[in-house]
Formats: sequence, C-alpha cells, structure tokens
Amino acid sequence: MSLSFSRAQHTCSTTRKLWQFPWGYPEAALFVASIILVGFMLQLTVGHFDIAILHYPANLIALAILAGLIALGTRFQNSLFMHWIAGIPVAITLTVALLLFGLYMELTPQLPRMPTQTPDLVSRLGFRMITASWPFVFLYTMTLIALGITTLKRLLRFSRRDITFLCNHLGLWVLLASAGFGAADMMRVVMHVGAGETEWRVFNQNEEALELPVAITLKKFTLEEYPPNLTIIDRQAPPAPQPDSKPQPKNKQEFFQIDPKRPKGRIGDWAITLDEYLHTAVRVGGEYRASPMPESTPAAKITVQNLLTGEIKTGWVSAGGNTPDLFFSDLSLDERYSFAMTQPEPRRYASDITIIPKEGESFDAILEVNKPVSVGDWMIYQYGYETALGKLSHWSEMELVYDPWLLPAKIGMFLMAAGSLLLAWNGAGRRRTNQ
Amino acid sequence: MSLSWNEFPCIALPAMLCWLSAGLLACRRPRSARSVYVVDALTITGIALSAVFIAAFWNALSRPPLRTMGETRLWYALFMILAGYITYRRWNYPWLLLLSAIVATVFTAINVLKPEIHSVALMPALQSFLFIPHVIIYIIAYAFFGVATLAAGVLFFRRRSGNGNDNGLLTFVDDLVHVGFGFLALGLLLGAVWAKEAWGHYWSWDPKETLAFITGAAYLVYIHLRHQGRKDNFVLWTLLVAFLLLLLCWFGTALLPRSSLHLYS
Repeated sequence: MSLSFSRAQHTCSTTRKLWQFPWGYPEAALFVASIILVGFMLQLTVGHFDIAILHYPANLIALAILAGLIALGTRFQNSLFMHWIAGIPVAITLTVALLLFGLYMELTPQLPRMPTQTPDLVSRLGFRMITASWPFVFLYTMTLIALGITTLKRLLRFSRRDITFLCNHLGLWVLLASAGFGAADMMRVVMHVGAGETEWRVFNQNEEALELPVAITLKKFTLEEYPPNLTIIDRQAPPAPQPDSKPQPKNKQEFFQIDPKRPKGRIGDWAITLDEYLHTAVRVGGEYRASPMPESTPAAKITVQNLLTGEIKTGWVSAGGNTPDLFFSDLSLDERYSFAMTQPEPRRYASDITIIPKEGESFDAILEVNKPVSVGDWMIYQYGYETALGKLSHWSEMELVYDPWLLPAKIGMFLMAAGSLLLAWNGAGRRRTNQ
Repeated sequence: MSLSWNEFPCIALPAMLCWLSAGLLACRRPRSARSVYVVDALTITGIALSAVFIAAFWNALSRPPLRTMGETRLWYALFMILAGYITYRRWNYPWLLLLSAIVATVFTAINVLKPEIHSVALMPALQSFLFIPHVIIYIIAYAFFGVATLAAGVLFFRRRSGNGNDNGLLTFVDDLVHVGFGFLALGLLLGAVWAKEAWGHYWSWDPKETLAFITGAAYLVYIHLRHQGRKDNFVLWTLLVAFLLLLLCWFGTALLPRSSLHLYS
C-alpha cells in the first residue's frame, strides 16, 4: 500500500470521474457491493454455500488457483488496477463489509444448519447462516486475494522496515486461508463411552454409525466438587422447571459460599455461622456423619441469627443427594422460608481412558477439560457426563476433532503474534519515520 | 492477607480520592515542582491501594479475580489509571491523567455500589494457564483504547473551538491505538489457542468472538485510514465507533440474542 500512490489518489479524487483511474473509495464501494449482489443472486438460485464441495483435494486445488491469481496480480503490480486492488480503499471497504456482516450475525439468531422446512426469504438470502452464505464466502475470498497481493508485493521487495507489516499481513493471510479452506476437512464428533466399555463408533443425527480410526476404553470417570452454596428458599415457590425462582430474595438472590476458612456470612437479615461441614456425608437419624459412600452428599451444620429479632436457630442442611432441586433442611425459618443448600459445582472432571489407534501403539491418558489428547490429526476432548448423577455418572462423552489444517493455522497465528508484539512495542513510531 | 468485597469500600474510597485529587492537581496552573511530586505520590498511592486489594482479593478467592464483570472492572480501573499515569509522565498530558482518573473512579464506584458477589468456584473450562493472560491482555488493550478515545475527544473539541490542528496529539492517539491493537490481537490469539484446547476449535463465531472480530475490524479501519494520511474529524469518529463496539463486546454479550460460551457469571 504505497503512500505516494494513496496521496496522489487523494488529491485527484475531487477532479476525476467515476471509473477514471486512479480508482479510490467510490469504485471500491461499488466493487464490493457488486460482489455481495452476485453472492445474493447465487444464494437465491443455488442455495447455501456447501463447504463439503471444498473437501480434500478440492480445497488444495482451490487454494492453488487462488495463489495463482495472487501471483498473477503481483506480476502486474504496476498497473493502476492492481495498485487499487492492493490499496487501502479496497482494504477498508472489505473490512467494513465484513464488519457489517459480523454485526448482523451478532444481532440476529444464527442457525447451526439449514432448516428442513421451506425457508422464508431471510433464510433463502442466507441471513440465518451468514458464514455459509455466498456473499460472505465471496467477501472472504476477495479479502484473501487483496490481502495476498498486498503481502506478496511487499514480500518480493523485502525490507527489514516492513517486518511488522509482513508478520501481521502474512500471518493473517495464512490463518484466514487455513481456517477457510481447512473448514471443509474438519470433522467434529461426540463419542459416548460407558464405564468399562470400549467404543470406536459415533452416531450422526440420522443414527447412522460412523467408524473412527481410534477406539477408546473408559476405565473410570471421576468428578471433584466445590463446596456448595447456602441460600434461603421459599418452599411455596413453584418447583422446577423454575428452580431459580426459589432462592431468596427473589429479585436479588443471595448465596453464602461454604468455606471452612471463612465460616461467617450473611443472607438477608440472617447472620450465618458455619459450625461443621462434611463434603461426603450420610444422614443417620437426625444427624449427618462423614462417609465416603457413593450416595453421600455435602452437609453443613449451621447456626443462624436473625439480626432484627435476635432469634437463633441451629440445624443441618444438605444438598439432598443426587436429585437436583430436592433440598433437605432441618433449618426452617418459618412456615414458608428455610435454609437450603445448592447442588455442588464441579471443580474437575476427568476420564481415565485407554486410546487404541488403528495404527500404532495404544496408550493410557487422563482426559479432562482444557487438557485434550492428540492422536495424529485428531484431538480428543473431555466433553460431558451424566450431570444428574454427577460423580456417579457411569458414562463419559468425548469430543473427537479432526483438523489436518491446524499446523498452518498455528503458523499464521504465530506470525500474527510476532506482529502484534512489534505493534505493541513500537506503537505507530515506525510509520512516522517512514513518512 | 485476604480481602473481600466487604472491605472494598475502605480501600476504594481513598484510592478514588487519590486519583481524582492527583488529576485535578496535575491540571492546575501554574505548576510548582512540589505539586508535581504530590501528583506522583497521590497517583502511586492510589495505584498501590488498588493493586493491594486485587492481590488480597485473589488470595481470598483462591482463584484470579477475573471471572465476573465486577472483577474485570477492578483490573480496568487499575490499568486505566496506570496507562493515564504513564502517558502523563511520558508525553506530559496532565488532562489525560485527570480523564483516566475519572474513568477509573467511575469503574471503581460501580464496584462499590454494586459489587456482584459471586462464589469462589472456578468452573473447569476456566481452569487454564491461558485464563489470566487472555483476560488481562484484553483489559490492557481496552485501557489503551479508552485513553485513545479520551485523547481523540479532546482533539475533537480543540478543533471545534478553533484551537488549531494538534498533529502531535493525533500522532499520540495513533501510538495509543497501535499499542492497543497489538494487545487486542495478542488477547485474541491467546483466546484462539485456548479455544482450541478447551472447545475443540480456535474460531467458532461464538458471539464474543464475533464481537471481538468486529471490534478489531473497526480499529483496523482507523489504522488504515491514518496510514493513508487522513487527518480529518472522520477518523476521530471512526475511533469513537470502534470504542462503542468495544464496549458492546465487553458488556453486551449477555444482552444479545445468541448465547455465548463466554458467559460464566
């Protein structure tokens, strides 16, 4: 994006006519608007852009054609047209168009896939699935072309002064290309494995089994919990499906986080003192006793004092085993309100598994959230468990993600990170010296 | 040492007082050598109070205080006043210290009035070494963009009142925006790496991701307009729009129609 060219164009813009070189913003706006218009026409005639058509090796061929176009464009970089394509007006207009598409996507509900019933005009124009609409795909491709020519031009007359520019622009191009073309080869499936079982199939929406190149044995599922919260509930409030209406005060629900290090707290007019806390307890008579049994539940013995009346009460409150929304409480405040305990939130959950690839050695791994395991181009993630049963869940769900384009995407990100660090370090300083 | 929201007002009120009086004193003319020292002492005391609270609060929660809006406001106030103070010392813009002191005070005051008490629980999805850098780098970027917007506003009103074109101030805004964008892109990239670890893909057009893209794109428009040599008020308006989109990205995710994986509180 040569500055001298832009300046020339800036001064000429008042005298020249539309489509008279050098082109600027009006031409860029008309050009981008035409791309979008053609996109919409295509959308109405052939429907959504189906990413599956870019499945390997089609995506490699398409990428090669795109690279060829960029190389060709760079070959004629001295033409006024190529100056314009690689210039700031086109870059800004494309950015603004993508920004507006993003904003629309943000402000309206988007569907994960096309609805099966006859779609309305908004759907047919692609507005319910922006990222799979032809106008968006055209804008994305045009961005790759314009960004590619700009970057290649600078790359060919490499200068150390351009290092920030190159890191940012080349990095973005590599990332956009890998994310866009790689999306066709990406596969995400969820595998459901029972404790002690081995699974290598996943089922799609039509209940068709798909065999994967990797099998997984679930040896054990474990779940650790945080201490739960205490709250005051209205026993007369409607039960589930609105359990949230129960904790009080209704408009600003208050909770007391159980933490033996901080045993004192307050909810509404009641001061709370935590006398005893057992994370795994069973009810024996009117009391709770520590027990590691699977059916155990958190229980807390608390003393509460009404700050207005001075009334003092002591009793046990528990999370009521593994049945959500069922509280056990010996601490009724009156006929309507009583203290209760929320279900404990998970601190950590993990699957102890053996991974058996079709080719190669099998190995053991502990799978947990934020700690996926790689097998070739596949990554395996801890996905879900039977939440109603919590730590008693006898199955675990794992998500398997196949993305052979991850490496180039990471290279793009690495380049961009280097460019960002240089920007943060230099500010706009480098540009000033250029001027 | 452990501190909670209960003790927050006792630290927040003196901190706000320090920042505001430092900002006002910095803008007062004529400036004496002694008042410069007092401004430094007041600002640093305010910053230290705020930093000590964050550290002690972190200790009390046994997790970084970065999960709720209220908790991110604590950091924003700290980084805002830090960025204001650094730019005041580096480029000698006393009004910037005052403006950032006002913004930091507003954010702190919201926390005093509406502390959003939450549990100490940190759900497994947030338990990652990327959690702290991802959020803090974003808040640093927001602070730089905040200061840039304030400076652009001052430039805009100076132009309207006929105080001439302050090209030095515009270049200063450029610096802030470039530095802010560097941090914004880093925050985004760390988020992408983390998303790959936690959710299976580095980009899913999650509402927060989409808004982050929109915010980044808006700042790119400003940066490219300036690279083209544009200096008019239009570029200042671009900056304001970009900052409004940033605020939408920060606070608006919960208000929008699509549910986000980024909602944790």
